[in-house]
Amino acid sequence: MATATDVSNVSPRGSTSPHSVLRAIWSSYFFRKFLRALATIFVVTTIIFFLVRLLPGNPIEIYVNQLIVTYGMPVHEAQDQAAALFAIDLDEPVILQYFSYLQNLARGNFGQSVLSPGTTVTEVILRFLPWTLFSVGLGLLISFTVGVLLGVIMAYRRDSFLDHGFTVVSSIISSVPDFLIGLLLVVWLGVQWKIIPIGAMRGAYSSGMVPGFNLEFFADALFHGALPISTYVLTSVGFWMLSMKSNTISTLGEDYVTIAKARGLKEWRITTAYVGRNAILPLFTILTIRVGFVVGGSLLVEQIFEYGGIGRMLGQAINQRDYTLMQGIFLIITFSVIFANFFADVLYGWLDPRIKLQDN
Amino acid sequence: MSQTSDLSWHQSTEENGSQPPLSLQNVHVSYRTRAGSVQAVRGVTLDLLAGESLALIGESGSGKTTLGLGIVRLLVDTAEVSPGQIIYRRDGRELDVLSLAEGPLREFRWRDCAMVFQSALNAFNPVLKVWDQVWDTAKAHNWNNRSEVRERFLDLLRFVQLDPDRVIDAYAHELSGGMRQRTLLAISLLLDPQILILDEPTTALDILTQRTIIDLLRRLKEDLHFTMLFISHDLAIAAELADRVATMYAGQVVELGPVSEIFYRPRHPYSLGLIRAVPTVTGGFEELSSIPGSPPDLINLPSGCKFHPRCPFASERCSREEPGLERVGDNHFAACWHTDAVQEDIERNGLRGRRAA
Repeated sequence: MATATDVSNVSPRGSTSPHSVLRAIWSSYFFRKFLRALATIFVVTTIIFFLVRLLPGNPIEIYVNQLIVTYGMPVHEAQDQAAALFAIDLDEPVILQYFSYLQNLARGNFGQSVLSPGTTVTEVILRFLPWTLFSVGLGLLISFTVGVLLGVIMAYRRDSFLDHGFTVVSSIISSVPDFLIGLLLVVWLGVQWKIIPIGAMRGAYSSGMVPGFNLEFFADALFHGALPISTYVLTSVGFWMLSMKSNTISTLGEDYVTIAKARGLKEWRITTAYVGRNAILPLFTILTIRVGFVVGGSLLVEQIFEYGGIGRMLGQAINQRDYTLMQGIFLIITFSVIFANFFADVLYGWLDPRIKLQDN
Repeated sequence: MSQTSDLSWHQSTEENGSQPPLSLQNVHVSYRTRAGSVQAVRGVTLDLLAGESLALIGESGSGKTTLGLGIVRLLVDTAEVSPGQIIYRRDGRELDVLSLAEGPLREFRWRDCAMVFQSALNAFNPVLKVWDQVWDTAKAHNWNNRSEVRERFLDLLRFVQLDPDRVIDAYAHELSGGMRQRTLLAISLLLDPQILILDEPTTALDILTQRTIIDLLRRLKEDLHFTMLFISHDLAIAAELADRVATMYAGQVVELGPVSEIFYRPRHPYSLGLIRAVPTVTGGFEELSSIPGSPPDLINLPSGCKFHPRCPFASERCSREEPGLERVGDNHFAACWHTDAVQEDIERNGLRGRRAA
């Protein structure tokens, strides 16, 4: 198999024939990676399309049931109202629905929400996704930074009281699922001790606030995001601490660290460029892959805190069987996971000179 | 050789001094372990003379490497160097290495005393280019003239017979084992240290690469008159490169003398045993005799002479009293009650012995 370097070898021969250009593109690492990503997205899209339709019930049934239960409406009346409201024809053969969905998707059209006619899925995603990116992203960033720093300190103070204390605490916290920690925060801090106004913290920002790039709005967003962000930090910081600690300890035993000391390097330089940089390398890959799960990972936590992000939207969409909205959000999740994997590859090749981005 | 003479700046000042640049005085090193205190080095007194190359030989676990690391204070935290003194001298100044504070210790390392390690395979930070690590070294010693450092290092790479432009901007994984060892050797000469400690510089290299390294070291010694302490279990290399040899056993120097004395007229049974255990290319296995038994347990050392349980010459006295280093010839010392018996054995059976294994 030719590799990416062949691209430069082909042109000097003067043969800019379409064939050799195509070959060069085909053999490019990124191009093949891109094709593989497209194929993955296609397969996942297909699976999701059929899976959501296998869920018991459909959006109209659920809506009809709601009308009956809430308003005591007779069945026929409720069905008529539902039929008038929703422009979706669920009696159309599924395979035809699938092809028209694909057609729309190829044009970048995610379709309209089944249950909120007139609202496109794209609108919903654009409105709620930024809040999830903000809260989960910030949480990830904080826990990564704090975890890595504490991990290094623990490794340098091995077997100290601090090391043992942090190890126990972080093992416990990181083994509790995030939704449990979220529930505990709500129950203890919000309900029983009434330390924080959980009611006022619902949503992504206070009503009446005009979104914009100003300090006031940013502070408000932080206030509303504080609980989910703390939950993300609490549940993941232990993982970063323990991984960084063990990576640092094994790096400290490397010959090149001893030799750096023998060369008389300053302690700070050794800790950052020799120990830290090598110990943190594997964590960067994990970090980028986790970034991919940002969108999907917030489902339960956002519901617990009633945070206005894409996770809570997804929960609602699932409960109401809003097919198109579910498909759209799942597609975004797939996309971000694939992109993050791709980015992890590129980043690792850039950070670690031993890795070259070529297969074979 | 105009090129090589540029490489050493200190040479003239160092050789007129009568004081040895490095003196070890009764150095002890012990490691704390759960099972007890491991006495790795037990009272080594040794002078490293200006311009000489001294070989420390002995089995694994005899304390050679511990001693080498102890000189540059790179032992693990569980090691303790006490009692003992390590005195370093340069330009009439004396340093007590063991009591150096962090800053002066950093300056002492590499500028005064550089160390080439056993496994150069892992000697380089994998994510930094060779040049970055060289530049780190120079900066750490306040040598901030980038182009000057680069020039100097390119010269050194030429000296170790590497293609300078290819190596200087390479990452370690792009170099072979032999190239890494030579690069490390070049870096060790960067600051023109007064003393070079080489810990098994040729271990883990193939025989031809070993040859190039040995030739390089020989040039360092003969053309540049570097003061070298090198640690090896390979007697052939020691015989080729050393002026003096110190045989170590159970953390002590048991024999010390000029290279020709130690290798042709050893007076300690352990040195003799090491020599008889070396295979020759043409000889068969039947000529070899190994030293029976294994190195002693450094936590519970045997009484008397530490070698007596394995020694063919051992008498009852050896298990009671520990011999000290006694003069047995010109600059030749051995710690054994039976140096005469060793001499007779060599006269009777020849240096390589007649015993079949």
